Amino acid sequence: MSELLQVNGLSVRFSGLTALDDVTFTLEEGAVRAVIGPNGAGKSTLFNAISGYVTPTSGTVHLKGQELTKLTPHEIAEQGVRRTFQNGGLFPALTVLENVLTGLHAQIEGSFLDILLGRSKALKSEAENIHRARELLKLMSMDHMADTRAGDLSGGQQRIVEIVRTVASDPPVLLLDEPAVGLSPVARAQMMEIIHRLAGEKGVGILLIEHAVELVMAAADRILVMAAGARIAEGTPDEIREDRAVLEAYLGHS
Amino acid sequence: MSTTMPTSRQRSLRTWAFWAVPVLLLLTPLATNAYTQFIVNGMLISILVTLGFTLVIGNLGQLAFANTAFFGIGAYASAILSAKLGLPWIMTIPLAGALGALGGFLASSAALRGIRSYYLAIITLAFGELMRWAYLHTKPLTGGTDGLPLPRETMFGISLSDDTLKFYIFLAVTAVLVKATLNLLRSRFGRAVMAVRENEVATASLAIPTARVILTTFIWSGFLVGCAGALFARHVGHVFPESFGMLHLIASFAMVLVGGLGSVLGAVLGAVVLTALPEYLRAFPGMEELFFGLIVAAVLVAMPMGLASLLRRLSPIFVERYYREES
Ligand SMILES: Nc1ncnc2c1ncn2[C@@H]1O[C@H](COP(=O)(O)OP(=O)(O)OP(=O)(O)O)[C@@H](O)[C@H]1O
Ligand SMILES: [Mg+2]
Repeated sequence: MSELLQVNGLSVRFSGLTALDDVTFTLEEGAVRAVIGPNGAGKSTLFNAISGYVTPTSGTVHLKGQELTKLTPHEIAEQGVRRTFQNGGLFPALTVLENVLTGLHAQIEGSFLDILLGRSKALKSEAENIHRARELLKLMSMDHMADTRAGDLSGGQQRIVEIVRTVASDPPVLLLDEPAVGLSPVARAQMMEIIHRLAGEKGVGILLIEHAVELVMAAADRILVMAAGARIAEGTPDEIREDRAVLEAYLGHS
Repeated sequence: MSTTMPTSRQRSLRTWAFWAVPVLLLLTPLATNAYTQFIVNGMLISILVTLGFTLVIGNLGQLAFANTAFFGIGAYASAILSAKLGLPWIMTIPLAGALGALGGFLASSAALRGIRSYYLAIITLAFGELMRWAYLHTKPLTGGTDGLPLPRETMFGISLSDDTLKFYIFLAVTAVLVKATLNLLRSRFGRAVMAVRENEVATASLAIPTARVILTTFIWSGFLVGCAGALFARHVGHVFPESFGMLHLIASFAMVLVGGLGSVLGAVLGAVVLTALPEYLRAFPGMEELFFGLIVAAVLVAMPMGLASLLRRLSPIFVERYYREES
């Protein structure tokens, strides 16, 4: 399996607080790597540093050998590292279809002038991408909701639409920040199924932050355990289950 | 709650109706007197002013109040270029638009420096007052308090003081600019504008360059309102600094809200209704302002989403979508 993402010695300090402390790992094509750790461990900070929302104090991030560390969030997204947000990142006033179309923004052709003048180049690409967005919604059995305001969806539906939007452009790397939080057990299982399919069928490399340990054990190929910003363990689910440091720092509490 | 969507027949009806409105309006000069024609011409100008305003505060969600500044810049640009440089007035329209766009660029640079919400509101209000001060204190160029008259001019052998001729020109400019704005909104650009309003952080995660979206929206808004300024200069024939003060800003703001924030249909409705209203209130001398205020307040209490929301409830034809259905 080829390496997609290489995170090397990544650290983030916020005025005195070390939120991320020298974290190193790689993510391969088609792999699901879970990131677990207690509240405040630095999991979301790791995502923010990879996706350009916070500037790392030191360390580097590479995608297929190309450095991402100095790029802005929208440039990193354009390179193919896409993410969701812990608190949900949908646009409530836009419809489900419009939300998915925002995920295809960079895929839609035509300059500002083409759009302004309604030139066929822009219209054709727009129509193709509308078609694509509808197909994606159909795959998730969400096509009947295409014209519903995203804000009117249930929490579980919102999480699914956010994932559809995030993967619409076929990104090689996906960062999911607690995609199953607040979902019913059935919806959680559905979510894990979706994650499995993305990795297995499309070869997407997935980083997954998740609190529910049983889910993580079932879904992930490898697990990165963090506490106080640092990596305290790394390995397959079986290895992590046996790890004493993990038991003390994390599993012991739950 | 899922919204009903227009069927394909309703959609073609909507396309048809969009062009039927200006075409039917072509006939209005036959049915009106000179006074009514003057009011209708003013409505066309207000449509562009309101549209430019609603784009920034409604669609983009930025509390920027430089709209009247763009309007004044456009009006003075048109008057100065006509009166001092002898340019045919019709050619000053795109130039006034370009200078309005420059005003938009300046206003956006404040937003892009991280000046937002109330701070952006106050700095853009100051920009408007600064422009008014500039009109007053550059007398050789703007005529100061005396204002600046536009020179007499003819087009197609007809004097440009003729309201019917002006009507056809204003209608063409307004229809083209409204259509172009709809093209923008019903595209990836329009969706990006509203994505920035809804969640700027998440927008960037979708490979959307948010700074460029903000910049472009302000520039397009400035362009629309700048063009409207050029129409206004010819409409009144003589530009004065007082036309571009707080009163104009508040009136435009009321049009945006009464029509429905962030809605193109709302911009049109708000502009038309609030331009016509004072004419009907002439029947109550001395009470005009009071009734005007009460009616605006009543509409906003009854319909916080504006008149456009009323039409949306009547028929799905009026639901605004931000993508182009396959035709
Ligand atoms: N922008 C910021 N400025 C200052 N401190 C921050 C910032 N972002 C995060 N922190 C701090 O960094 C630490 C790690 O936070 P982070 O959000 O990464 O934790 P987490 O592992 O995602 O926790 P949770 O499971 O609660 O989501 C916390 O102490 C947090 O308060
Ligand atoms: Mg977190």
